[in-house]
Amino acid sequence: MKIKDNDIETRFSGNKRDNPFRVPENYFENFAERLEVRIRKEQEVNEKKSLYIILKPFLTMAASFVLILLVLYIPYRKYYLAESRNIVHYKSDIDSFDSAGSIPRALISNFSEEQFMSAFSDMEQTESGTLSSENLADFIAANYNDYEIAANN
Amino acid sequence: MELNEKDLIAGLKSENGREQAFQILVNTYQQRLYWHIRKIVMNHDDTDDILQNVFIKVWNNVDGFREDSSLFTWLFKIATNESLTHLQKERKHSTSSMSEMSNQYLAESLESDVYFEGDEIERKFQLAILQLPNKQRIVFNMKYFDEMKYEQISKVLNTSVGALKASYHFAVKKIEEFLKEDHTR
Repeated sequence: MKIKDNDIETRFSGNKRDNPFRVPENYFENFAERLEVRIRKEQEVNEKKSLYIILKPFLTMAASFVLILLVLYIPYRKYYLAESRNIVHYKSDIDSFDSAGSIPRALISNFSEEQFMSAFSDMEQTESGTLSSENLADFIAANYNDYEIAANN
Repeated sequence: MELNEKDLIAGLKSENGREQAFQILVNTYQQRLYWHIRKIVMNHDDTDDILQNVFIKVWNNVDGFREDSSLFTWLFKIATNESLTHLQKERKHSTSSMSEMSNQYLAESLESDVYFEGDEIERKFQLAILQLPNKQRIVFNMKYFDEMKYEQISKVLNTSVGALKASYHFAVKKIEEFLKEDHTR
């Protein structure tokens, strides 16, 4: 569309100040209502924020405490306990049996607490009870050979 | 309910009359502020966002209003600053290269604006205004469309009257040149 110079002069050099822009229907009528809704929402957010600001130091302290515990506990669990197990396995490899030559040490670590306790109570019962001649005969038969028995007699 | 500016400010700063005074403030200034912002950012949706932000700032900061200037000046200052901040953000996101005109995205926004109902001459005139640097454009709009006095503009923009007069003069020259060039093509 060709626009003539005198069109522009008459349109824009005079007193007429046309506004070619429009707004949606009822925009200004509804604006205050929409603004009120937004202000209420912002106030709610600000209240939540202020509660967070009050609690922030306590939450930070709690989080730091948990973090410190984790930092200490995880390496302890991962390396220290694993190393203890390695020592047990290593010892059992080179020295499978204890000095008495009876029970492998590694085997002891595999016993549950209940097994230990029941074995211990059995031992106590035997020790506290009277030693029968049958038990004595079994013990001698298991620990001494015929030659030693004859020599002691 | 009509209130003079002093009563309105007192109402805004009081606990009890705050909401009512704020409603009066919104109803009194919403249209003037809307058109001031709209001419800077062009787009209706952006204008709506900025206008809401302006009133929210007023709501949150009215206790700190020192009354060194009039309420009108304070509101226009906030609106101008919010609009300029918006333009800066938009420019950062704009893909236009530096060689193109600085307000290219505003021109594009004008072309696609469903709420622009001007004819071809008005569209060219708006495009000519968009060639101006933002501050010069604001001076031109406030003087030409809003018919504000230089003294009033001076308080809003914190610029001397002399500088504003020079700025307006250069703006008019640039617009005239743009329109003449456009016609000779």
